[in-house]
Amino acid sequence: MYTRIAAALLATSLLFACGEDEEVGAAFDDRQIVVDYADKVVIPTYELLADRLAALSTSVETLAGETTPANLAAAQQAWIAARVPWEQSEAFLFGPVDFNGFDPALDSWPVSKNDLDAVLASGSEFTPSFIASLQETQKGFHTVEYLLFGDNHAKSADQLTARELDYMKAIARELADVAGELAASWTTPNGGQRAYRDIFVNAGAGNSAYPSLSAAVQEILDGMIGICDEVANGKIADPYDAHDTTLVESQFAWNSIADFQDNLRSVQNAWLGGVPLAGTSGRGLSDWVASVDADLDARVKAEIEAAIEAIGAIPGPFRDAINDPAAYPAIENAQQRIRKLQTTLEEQVVPLVLR
Amino acid sequence: MSAHRSPSLLLAGLLAASCGEAAEDGAASPPLAGGDTTIQNRTSNAYSFPAPNLSEEELDRHLDGDVAFEATFVTPPAPVNGGLGPRFNSSACIRCHIRDGRGPAAVDAGAFGSPLLVRVSLPAGESAVPGGPVPVPGFGLQIQDQAIWGEVPEAKIRLDWIEETGAYADGTPYALRRPLLEIEPAEGIELPGDLLLSPRIAPPVFGLGLLEAVPEELLLALADPDDVDGDGISGRPNFAWDVTRGAPRLGRFGWKSNTPTLLQQSAGAYADDMGVSSPLFPEADGSHEIPRETLDAVTFYVQTLAVPARTAWTDPAVAAGEARFRAIGCARCHVETLETGAHEVAAVAFQTIHPYTDLLLHDLGPGLADGRPDFQATGSEWRTAPLWGIGLAQTVLPQATFLHDGRARSLEEAILWHGGEAEGAKEAFRTMDRAAREELLAFLRSL
Repeated sequence: MYTRIAAALLATSLLFACGEDEEVGAAFDDRQIVVDYADKVVIPTYELLADRLAALSTSVETLAGETTPANLAAAQQAWIAARVPWEQSEAFLFGPVDFNGFDPALDSWPVSKNDLDAVLASGSEFTPSFIASLQETQKGFHTVEYLLFGDNHAKSADQLTARELDYMKAIARELADVAGELAASWTTPNGGQRAYRDIFVNAGAGNSAYPSLSAAVQEILDGMIGICDEVANGKIADPYDAHDTTLVESQFAWNSIADFQDNLRSVQNAWLGGVPLAGTSGRGLSDWVASVDADLDARVKAEIEAAIEAIGAIPGPFRDAINDPAAYPAIENAQQRIRKLQTTLEEQVVPLVLR
Repeated sequence: MSAHRSPSLLLAGLLAASCGEAAEDGAASPPLAGGDTTIQNRTSNAYSFPAPNLSEEELDRHLDGDVAFEATFVTPPAPVNGGLGPRFNSSACIRCHIRDGRGPAAVDAGAFGSPLLVRVSLPAGESAVPGGPVPVPGFGLQIQDQAIWGEVPEAKIRLDWIEETGAYADGTPYALRRPLLEIEPAEGIELPGDLLLSPRIAPPVFGLGLLEAVPEELLLALADPDDVDGDGISGRPNFAWDVTRGAPRLGRFGWKSNTPTLLQQSAGAYADDMGVSSPLFPEADGSHEIPRETLDAVTFYVQTLAVPARTAWTDPAVAAGEARFRAIGCARCHVETLETGAHEVAAVAFQTIHPYTDLLLHDLGPGLADGRPDFQATGSEWRTAPLWGIGLAQTVLPQATFLHDGRARSLEEAILWHGGEAEGAKEAFRTMDRAAREELLAFLRSL
């Protein structure tokens, strides 16, 4: 288990961190990296999410208007496309996405099928205020996924009822609205406070949320490390260790492997300081680390690529792989690759950046 | 979501920070707020790390508890996390204890449910457990203002704030706000004329195992119920009902110390806040929706969350503020240092900790009083709130507020609400010059 690995490495890190021959170099002072992280990584990712969820809403409208196999396939593709920026945002699950409740509003799991069935069977009109009053576990990404793909990834257009289509239109619209709010949330003043972006990029003395620049960088690194840990030891390990398909993320769309890869791309974007899909690039942690320890930067980049590749080598769908012994080596290899990256970030990058 | 955390990150961070600082200015380490459970982190994750001194097996248990703490419950029966409601306040522990910290002072807050909940009782009648508050027909001891699809919440709650103004002795004005609740009960529930109610926000959940491990004798020795020493500070223990023992026991948790153990606190939150039954608080027929293991995992999780270390403790303004904190008497209730004793969780046993609380009840005067007694706590008594990590409250949750009902929007406002036994300390703060006040606040922000 990863805890054993971590404990073994801890002993090493003790030696490294306090070894007598350690040279203490310059402390991290590159504010542009924090600024670009906000402006070139986080905000563009959320803007892309808002665009793609708006496109999903349009596709669902089209599907409801004309419920054909082609329109169902298009809506399913729009769902998968919207999933990409969401998963690419999971290396930064802090800030408004968390404290304003956007994460549960968008991505609650599990789907409450009882409540969904009941609301579909009711006579209620699916107005925006009615939708807003519902539990988040009967709407959001995964409820739309369930309605579009069905339980066994076998949904056909003729199975979609008028009530399902009506409901899906309403919750897809709400999803798009929530994503729009999320996209604006880093740059909009919050209550009596400055916009979160301005608090974050101005980390330093006198800033009550981030009293030093290194606190902001620690937040960036915690986010990268946290999602590595989550993918290897949560998203993959929980269903795999229990061989339980009900624990699999994005199980209706069979999209788990793409989700996991995009989580690692989120780490990559945070490292490099840009979002290729959004066409942004800026100064990343990679630049600062390369100037101090070029080998380490090269290693991080290579380990990110190796992790993405190893996840891609798991035979899909993931929900089947967890019960297919032939797939176990690939699953475990992917976990190991992600853990290796996580360990490099924890044991090499964090001490260097926060020294 | 961040259900998994590696402790090695933290330790690496801790070591890097402490070695770096020693190399730079040779300063001593800050007092370790949580003893060996202390971590170095001043980010929005600061309340969410496992204690670094857990064994591998304990860390696994902690991470299991982390998953349970984040689990969103849904309408039963369901293959995953069934058991929500039928009436409740929120659907997951984490929705109110955001990032293991405070909850926002808000009702009907979208995906959060109602992280501010309203406790209710009657002034007289038959209590639910010996010595406890008297339930209100239709509500019980807490209004559950959310419901699963097809069920009716017990009430609709509206929360407004009333502002009042005051001024420091130097003429600087300030504004304080108090909550105004409007309760519209569901059909068939009568609002009694003598209803006692008290709004509550969710407190942070880190460091709690350490507080559970402080020996009872030590806390009782701090108590001075009749103010024998004549310093104007009493300090009374609350003896609450221990469901497991079926007997009264020293209360430590909750805004009025009305719960004796973290096991009972956790089971109570499942039952009352989420409508999820457990072996401690089962359904009428004895069945329950989560097994004992889940309850134990969550209990272990809150017992073993690390305490963040202080920051900027060498800053002269912080040091001056700390001296003022002591000089004006804050530390008489917000006791700086306690020693823990034996505990079933080894990581929290026999630690020197700096929680800034005595876990005792103090009369804070009419301004803060809720008029709702809870076991031995009167309507104007409150448990001394621990102050460790309080400087991170708004890093973890920018809209975090302070005091039992979240009325204080800043630490300054929280101090200004103190009265009763703390009137002297409050007045000392109110009459300081601005620079001195800033120093005191800088100290609090360093915690």
